[in-house]
Formats: sequence, C-alpha cells, structure tokens
Amino acid sequence: MPLRSDTSRWSTVAKTFHWVMALLILGNGAFAFWMDGLKPSLQKINMFALHKSIGLTVLALFLLRLMWRAVDRRPPDEPAPHWQQIAAHAVHGLLYLLIVAIPLSGWAFNSAHGFPLQYFKQFNLPALVEKNPGLSDTLGTVHVWLFWFLLAVLVAHVGGALKHHLIDRDDTLRRMLPFGRAKRNTSTPPGDTP
Amino acid sequence: MNPMIRRLSALTVALALPFATSAADYKVGPGSTLGFSGKFQGQQFDGTFGKFDAAISYDAANLAASKFDVTVDTATAKTGDSDRDNALPGSDFLDVKKFATAHYVTTGFTKDAKGNVIANGNLTLHGVTKPVALKVVFSPNAGGARLSVTGTLKRLDFGVGSGDYKDTSTIADEVLVNGSLNLLPK
Repeated sequence: MPLRSDTSRWSTVAKTFHWVMALLILGNGAFAFWMDGLKPSLQKINMFALHKSIGLTVLALFLLRLMWRAVDRRPPDEPAPHWQQIAAHAVHGLLYLLIVAIPLSGWAFNSAHGFPLQYFKQFNLPALVEKNPGLSDTLGTVHVWLFWFLLAVLVAHVGGALKHHLIDRDDTLRRMLPFGRAKRNTSTPPGDTP
Repeated sequence: MNPMIRRLSALTVALALPFATSAADYKVGPGSTLGFSGKFQGQQFDGTFGKFDAAISYDAANLAASKFDVTVDTATAKTGDSDRDNALPGSDFLDVKKFATAHYVTTGFTKDAKGNVIANGNLTLHGVTKPVALKVVFSPNAGGARLSVTGTLKRLDFGVGSGDYKDTSTIADEVLVNGSLNLLPK
C-alpha cells in the first residue's frame, strides 16, 4: 500500500482521509437529525456532546488532510471535457469549504447558545462568540442549511464519480476506493488478472 | 437575703459574666449574596439564591457562643441559563415543590491548621441532612460586619440529580458554596 499517491492512484493516506471523513460527516449528520427529535434528557445532552466532538474531529482531520495534501502528489485528472474537470475541482473546493464551515458554524452556534464545549469529556475549548440568543438561533439555522448544501454538492461529487465509473469506465472512482486498483496506467502485478 | 449571701451571689455573677457573654447578633442587610458554583461539561457555572435569610451570632473571641442559622428559598436559584434554570427547580434536581427551603445551622466552630475559622454545621437540602463545613472570614466594620463563607458539598450526598443526572462526568458532584453577607446589628 503506497503511502504517497502516484500517477495512477490515491495513496492509502489520502484514501483514509477521504473515507473516514466521509463516514464521520454523513454519520454525524444523520446522528444529529435523529437525536434532535429526542425528549430532553441527560443522554440527549451527552449525545450532543458526542456530535460536537465528532464535528471537531472532522475539523482537526481536515487540517491534517490539508497538510498532507501539501506534501503528497496527486494523480492527474482522467480524460474528460475541460468544463467537467473545472466543475469537478470547483465541487472539491466547495466540499472543502463546507467541511470547515459546518463544524465552525456549529461551534459558533454552541458558543452563542452558551453551552460549554468539551472534547470527548477530556478538555474544553473556548467559545468563538459571546452568548447571544438571537445569534444562536441564526447560527443554528445556518449550521443545518450548510449541511443540506453539503448534501447537494455531494450529489454532484458522487454523481460525477459514478458517471466516470459507469459511463466513461475510467479509474476516477476506482483509484479512490479503499481496495480499488486502477485498470489502466498501472503495471499489472504478477498474478493479477487485468 | 442576708448581706453575706447577697455579696456572694454578686461575686458569682461577676465571675460568671465573661463566660456568659453572648456573641453579637446580626441580621442580613442589603448587598448580601448567597451563591453556588457547579461544573457542567467541564465548565464552571455560577448561581445565586435570590431569597434567603440568616440569623448570625458571632464573636471571634468567643466562638463557642457563635451561631449561624440560614434558611434559603430553593426556588430562587438562578444560574443565568434558561435551560438550566428550568431544570434546577424540577424533581430531578432541587425539587422545590417538595423541598422549598434549605436550612443550615452550625453545631460549632473550630480553627484549621492555618488559623482559619471553620464553621461546622448541618445542611438540610432536598430533604437530606448532612454535615457541611464552611470557612469563615468575619470583618467587623462601622455599620456592622462583613461575613464571607465558602465551602464545598457533594450534590449526590443530598440526592440532587436523580436517575441519569447522577452522571458526574457531565455534571460534577462537587458544588462550591459561597456567601458574602453584609451584616447589620440586630
């Protein structure tokens, strides 16, 4: 398993960042909508604390991912019309922006509401803004809508990947799959059926 | 009564006087506060009781004759957070419908190793009576005195926080108690 990406596939590190963050983001979103409907209880408070800790983890992973991206190589884009390549990169940019904006808006929402912010019951993080009930309501709405927006952008991201996989039949998706191997551009290892 | 006996009794009274001096009595004046601090999700929050009363007898030189008797209206607890302030009077916490007052009365005073005066007393809170010690700082002033007390209690000792709310990893067991009383002569 290559640590760094090469011309034909994403590295194990890049894949791990991609899929772990995808799972955490979607899982945390689903978790939030589910628990939001629960009656007030200490469990609910603890679940929200868990949701916040997962969100902070995503934020921390994103920073690490950016640092990794700065030192890693990238496989070149698969052949596609120029506008599609630009669109794909724009979608990536938007996803990156949202991956930062969603946790930060949640953090600010939490601060404006006046809740403490404790990371997995280990240590506390400072408030981003002063307590302010009006602002808290606004930020809560922003936090949720940013997630809906993320889902919309994901439709483009996943749709693009599937289009490459199913219609173009290229390696765009395969080279990012956890155990995927690129069909082309790779020297076929001995014993591997092409 | 013959003069001899009269003289003797006068002497007895005179001898007994220093031991019988009662400590000065005070009442609570304006500018007094009674508060508490807890910890929720690792962060301290501070609360106050809007309504309380105290009968204070205190003489630094005669601690044996000193006494604090404090009653607190538990429904007046406020912590500056609407969620928490809605939960606090409820049956999961202070249960103010059943236990409208908390009561603290001293049983005696001691001095710790550093020379601080410690009030020992019983606190009745949420229907449970347990000993609670308070550090006392008493400073007489022109109009009366300023009395500061601080102490710590464990909320679960008093059954404050039932069911899931016993979870001390979310709501700490220890609660700091602090009072700053502006005392006026009675």
